Amino acid sequence: MDKRLSSVAIWLVAILAIFAIIVFVLGNTLGIERFQTDNATLGLRFLFVIVGLLIAFAVYLFTKENKAWEVGTREVVWMAIGAALYAVFSWYFNATVFVVPSLSQVALRPAIAIPMFFGYAFGPIVGFFTGAVGNMFGDAISGFGLSPQWSIGNGLVGFIAGLPALFASRKKATDTVLWVGGALVLLATIVYFLNRGETNMMFFDPANNVFGDQPIALTAGIALLVGFVLVLVVRFAFGKNAAVGEAVIWGMLGNVLGIGFAAISDIWINGFSATAAIVGEFLPAAGPNLIFAAILVPLLVAAYAAVQRQSGR
Amino acid sequence: MLVAWRYRSRPRSFIQSFDPRAWMMFYGCFLFSTLAFWDVRFLLFFAAIALFVLLTSGVTWNEIRRAILFIVGFVSIFAFFTFLTGRGGVELYEQEHLIRRFEASFSILGWTPALDVTVERAFFGVSQFVRVFSIAIMTILIPYSLNPALYGITFRGLGLPDKIAYAMDLTMRFIPTFSRDFQLTMDAQKARGFELEKIGGGLIQQVRKIGPLMVPVTIHAIIGSEDIIDAMDLRAFGIGPRTWLQKLDYKMKDRILIGVGLAILLFSMALSTLGQGQFWVPPGLLALAGG
Repeated sequence: MDKRLSSVAIWLVAILAIFAIIVFVLGNTLGIERFQTDNATLGLRFLFVIVGLLIAFAVYLFTKENKAWEVGTREVVWMAIGAALYAVFSWYFNATVFVVPSLSQVALRPAIAIPMFFGYAFGPIVGFFTGAVGNMFGDAISGFGLSPQWSIGNGLVGFIAGLPALFASRKKATDTVLWVGGALVLLATIVYFLNRGETNMMFFDPANNVFGDQPIALTAGIALLVGFVLVLVVRFAFGKNAAVGEAVIWGMLGNVLGIGFAAISDIWINGFSATAAIVGEFLPAAGPNLIFAAILVPLLVAAYAAVQRQSGR
Repeated sequence: MLVAWRYRSRPRSFIQSFDPRAWMMFYGCFLFSTLAFWDVRFLLFFAAIALFVLLTSGVTWNEIRRAILFIVGFVSIFAFFTFLTGRGGVELYEQEHLIRRFEASFSILGWTPALDVTVERAFFGVSQFVRVFSIAIMTILIPYSLNPALYGITFRGLGLPDKIAYAMDLTMRFIPTFSRDFQLTMDAQKARGFELEKIGGGLIQQVRKIGPLMVPVTIHAIIGSEDIIDAMDLRAFGIGPRTWLQKLDYKMKDRILIGVGLAILLFSMALSTLGQGQFWVPPGLLALAGG
């Protein structure tokens, strides 16, 4: 086994060990309630973690020769530029400098287009760094506390947006992702319609005395579905420009899985119920993100393509 | 042109007298320790540390005025609305003791606006203020006190690989530059009649209107990156193990600072595990409120 491969394997085993420590030491031995796990489902939960880690290892094993995993000078600079831009845009648009109005509880986060675009244009490693580090610095300079699970979630958005580079048949993979993403969007929207009484924990409007405690509005509940419709429009309207459709579709999958990861982790971290995490956190965050992805990412992809044509790089 | 954070060497600064790696480790311990508590008596200890560090940092009021006013304003508004709504605290307390109920003299469609002032809401607001204020003060001091020339070697010294440490270094350097670029672009678009403050219309219209602000800043940054990439390539970046221009050495006081940070963290975790430091209200106030 070469050095890089064994290093990846060690990292994955370390992640498994951290999970085990959280469950067995913090939860069962020290008795911290929020880390305690139901014994009946403990095996199943660990099975999912192990399967997930094995998938990650298999993906790396079969694609380790791919250029997408290389980190050279260009990638280092792009990582830094992406993370700094994401931090600055998050800071400006987090209502700290000027307020981007929200419509009917749909809080707007235009900055999310940055990890999606950087992931797609420069690869999964650049995308992950852009999302994770950019979110961390954005929260720090905005004066918010740090939320590691949301930083990882934002990192996954950029990481997954950069995965098409791993596929030989990008068109086939992209079409599959479109329908898988669509199925996940529909599933989440169905969960919303079955739980319309949940509160929208992502919506804060101090002027009107709303602090994440208002029942979720229809617009916020179906924002993800609206975003998916926009993705479909982009996919078929830009049929000739494959890059635009690809960027938006992989960005959609990144958004669903990355924000989903952060929201679902709050079931254990903040003690939310599964429906509160999906309806109250995931939908109001991922829905508007997808609308931004469908509109801003194509603009960035088209502008970058023009720059590449001009500079020849 | 790069714009820098407002760092300058301050020989009498407490925070700057330590190795930056030791300070970052202490900051990490401080952050996680503060997050372990909701009891204002415990949180005051962390607020005292933050204030001590601020007052001995050597950063003048003129330098940090805007940042401090922003933090105090933001945290105050946040804590005040928490006090009004009780939002957030309901996960930490089950029972509320009413001090006074303010009721409007009018009704809107049968609903009479009312404000319940309870001991728990008031103290939760205070606890939240102290908690967020302490973390924000410690965070905001970092760019004022950490020498930009030492960003890379600090992250490397904290165990990150060379390339990731250098990427972190560049990220911290680019943030003020891109912030300036964002302002310039915003001014340029305003000069062209683009009304950013009046972003209106439907949702999709609103999103589209942000494009002329985000796209030029992003593309300008990517075009500018070519010069940096060329400069780094010419210096053979990434070809072999990296050497750093500056060298950092731990001194005894740095080791003591790390030890103190770790001791605070371990002690906080132990207290938190034993159920100490949870949300607390003075029993005297509860008695006054009839509890």
